[in-house]
Amino acid sequence: MQNDALQDSQAEKRLLTALANGDAAAFGTIYELYGERIFRYTYRMLGNRTDAEDATAETFLKVLRRSSELRADGAFRTWIFRIARNLCIDRLRQHRLMELPTDAQYSGAEERTTLRITVHQALAELPQEYSEPLVLCDLEDMPAREAAEVLQISLPALKSRLYRGRRALRDKLGNMVEKSK
Amino acid sequence: MKQDFYRKLVDMYAGGELPEELEQEMEWASFGDPELSHDMVTMRKTVELLRTMPKPEFTEESNQRILMKLYSKGTEIVPKQPTVLYLQYQLPIQS
Repeated sequence: MQNDALQDSQAEKRLLTALANGDAAAFGTIYELYGERIFRYTYRMLGNRTDAEDATAETFLKVLRRSSELRADGAFRTWIFRIARNLCIDRLRQHRLMELPTDAQYSGAEERTTLRITVHQALAELPQEYSEPLVLCDLEDMPAREAAEVLQISLPALKSRLYRGRRALRDKLGNMVEKSK
Repeated sequence: MKQDFYRKLVDMYAGGELPEELEQEMEWASFGDPELSHDMVTMRKTVELLRTMPKPEFTEESNQRILMKLYSKGTEIVPKQPTVLYLQYQLPIQS
């Protein structure tokens, strides 16, 4: 497992070095590695597919434009998420997009679907300082230390916001949480 | 006094950050403390709800639209996966 992680980080270093040297194939590989995750994250932040596609494309354009700044020190993942986050925040400020996406895909039993829509709405109503740690840590399964780096806050501050955010969400959901299976 | 200690750990309990022995100790303690029990159960369910929310689907259409936006900005990108045939050509719109 550790060997895999080591090989992954060495492969990433080679990739970033190639990208910094203007290698188009390296950029393609980086897109293959991170495109889906960045899309999912921007979709969660912005709430609709079209804006998420725009933000994902802009994120990769910024990566390319700033490729000379890249350091192959393992911090690339947090760096690219930070770029995506800043773009999402700009968009949210411009358009106040935190609303239920019209193209949200929730399937399954009706009760479960209603619950998921309610969770989505409650999340969107939370202050950004609470919703962001929930999106990164609970929805995107990012380790707390990495999420703290993306948000540029300390680990204790991240945990404090995460815990408060979960409590605020629980309070918003009220009885629905207790009834959920 | 131990109940106060457990109350402070509810957030970590909800996120599954505690060792198993301590989790079990808290669950035992919560039997005689409805307030603690309610807090533990609802917080854990909230976290589970979040963690089981469906992931937004990254469709091939979205992927292609993102690639098109990158191409339109002059980016030379070489994706590993070939473009699917039906997305390579635009069909004329029939009126």
